[in-house]
Amino acid sequence: MKIALSKENILGLIALALFVVMTIIAPGFLSAENINNMMFQLPEFGLLALGMMVVIITGGIDLSITYTAALSGVSIAMMQSHGYPMMISILVGILIGLACGFMNGFIVTRIGVSPILVTLGTMILFEGVILSITKGNSISGFSDWYNLIGNGYYLGLIPLSMIIFIFFAVVTSVLLGKTYWGRCVYMIGSNSVASLFSGINTSRVILKVYLYASFLAAISAIIMTSRYNTAKVDLGSSYLLQSVAAAVLGGTEIQGGYGKVVGTVYAVMIFQILSNGLNLLEVPRTIVNVIMGAILIAVLVINFAKTKLGNKDRMQVTS
Amino acid sequence: MKSIMKKEASIAVIIIILSIVLSFINPVFLTIDNILDILKGNVVLGILAMGMTLVIITGGIDVSVAAVTTAVCVVIGKLLVMVPDHIGALFLLLVIACLLGIILGGINGFLVSKIEIPAIVVTLGTMSMINGIVLYVTNGQYLNSTDFPKVFLKFSNIKILGVSILIWLFFLIAILTWFLLKHTVMGREILAIGGNKESALRVGINFNKVQIFVFAYMGFLAGIAAIAQISYTKAVDPNGLSGLELSVIAAVVLGGTNIMGGRGTVIGTILGVLLLGIIQNGLILARIDIFWQKVVVGLIILLAVSYDHIQYKRAQAQLSRIEIDS
Repeated sequence: MKIALSKENILGLIALALFVVMTIIAPGFLSAENINNMMFQLPEFGLLALGMMVVIITGGIDLSITYTAALSGVSIAMMQSHGYPMMISILVGILIGLACGFMNGFIVTRIGVSPILVTLGTMILFEGVILSITKGNSISGFSDWYNLIGNGYYLGLIPLSMIIFIFFAVVTSVLLGKTYWGRCVYMIGSNSVASLFSGINTSRVILKVYLYASFLAAISAIIMTSRYNTAKVDLGSSYLLQSVAAAVLGGTEIQGGYGKVVGTVYAVMIFQILSNGLNLLEVPRTIVNVIMGAILIAVLVINFAKTKLGNKDRMQVTS
Repeated sequence: MKSIMKKEASIAVIIIILSIVLSFINPVFLTIDNILDILKGNVVLGILAMGMTLVIITGGIDVSVAAVTTAVCVVIGKLLVMVPDHIGALFLLLVIACLLGIILGGINGFLVSKIEIPAIVVTLGTMSMINGIVLYVTNGQYLNSTDFPKVFLKFSNIKILGVSILIWLFFLIAILTWFLLKHTVMGREILAIGGNKESALRVGINFNKVQIFVFAYMGFLAGIAAIAQISYTKAVDPNGLSGLELSVIAAVVLGGTNIMGGRGTVIGTILGVLLLGIIQNGLILARIDIFWQKVVVGLIILLAVSYDHIQYKRAQAQLSRIEIDS
């Protein structure tokens, strides 16, 4: 009974309920084609949200995450259109993403500036770098194999990108839950001074957090560029605030210290089901944004009410 | 106290160095016309930054400012086409703009204080809602000044002592905010909460009231900024302000306000706004390729915050050394 009431399970139920509701009211929601569509759209956003979640657990935030993705996407596109082999260009793209993450992590940990400021600065910086490389144009010219990553199927059934997403969701979950690094991430999020005094090398852990987030951003960039077949400066930039919203909706504490992969995945699913279903119902795109915002706030109000009630119960028990 | 002034001094030094470099690169920079242009172009940013300073001092943040300002702009734009060409109508519009802003800001404040949702999440939510409604209502369409009453256009062209009324408006808001922060009970409570929430509560400060006030004040300024924006651009563009919230936050924080709360001054924020404005203007005057401008802006923000923080750390280290010595 207790398990059924956890934050994540409530979100799961909401996602399920939304799915059922959409199946009933939206025409063609359950068609194979539409389910496929959703499966192709989910991974890129999901990976960014996971990266954002890991950063938020430490009490930070990464506003540069989408431009990190765009920068590595653009560099992959540049390499490929100049005839470099696919594997090398992907490798370089990931390395460039990691370099962005290292820059964030270095300034946050070694100089000690607060994350929101650092990533605000690097966000503008990366955007500028992409603009000056691409001159605002979009770049295309990928190899056929590369296009398979975002558009291909595994065993002719499950999208390849979905498998990549599931893989990284599991990896993130294991890293956070089962490794020394993961425990440190949570501890730093709940009290960084105490973790430092208990012998954790906080700056190294946080540096790795930013590296990991940028790594996920780079993977997301690969899927995005491959699916759209182009790369340009605003690649995925609409996901920035959405990924913060997804992480928070998924139960991650914005001050740090708590957050689960399952919750974020459920939140991403809720966003995906909603935007897809409302699209099918021919609700204008702008109203979809309104509904997303309303749901974000509504869920938090419900959470608040629930903890208030829980506290009242507990107080009655103790008295 | 000294360290606070030092913060402002270091920003002032950066501004002065930048100005000297820029006036060597292009002598136009140091002309009065150009400086007035910089000020006029950053009035909206400056007004919003004043409110944001208070919000950030209490430890909150408001990313919905640009959305609220746009919403007020759109409503006022719709009304402007309808109102008669009379000075009283102008006054009425100003009141409506402020009230609308206060209501929208008050909603943020209510959610942050009473429901205890973190400020960044609340304002993210309201931002996406307001933006959605604005785009739905306007269809993203641009509203031109041709239908605006003449009295409004006249108002926006008024100059006092050769300085545009918009710049005077900004200084008025700055003085009001300074007075509020320095010389009223509410201002002292804002600083106290940012400094140490626990002890502020123990002293008997009504935390919820202060938070709602701060967000409502932010909304009030967003209403005024909306009027300034329409007067400046002489048009209503539902997409014109997107992304401004980040510039506002950047200006406030460059101005020495601590993002964690507790520290911040009006003078510092004015300097932060000036710094951003000068960078933007200087890059154009220095004929730097438009594509590289963002790189330079990003680098300057990173350098400024890093320099500032290193300076702060050095001061702290010196402080502890003195303690050990004595």
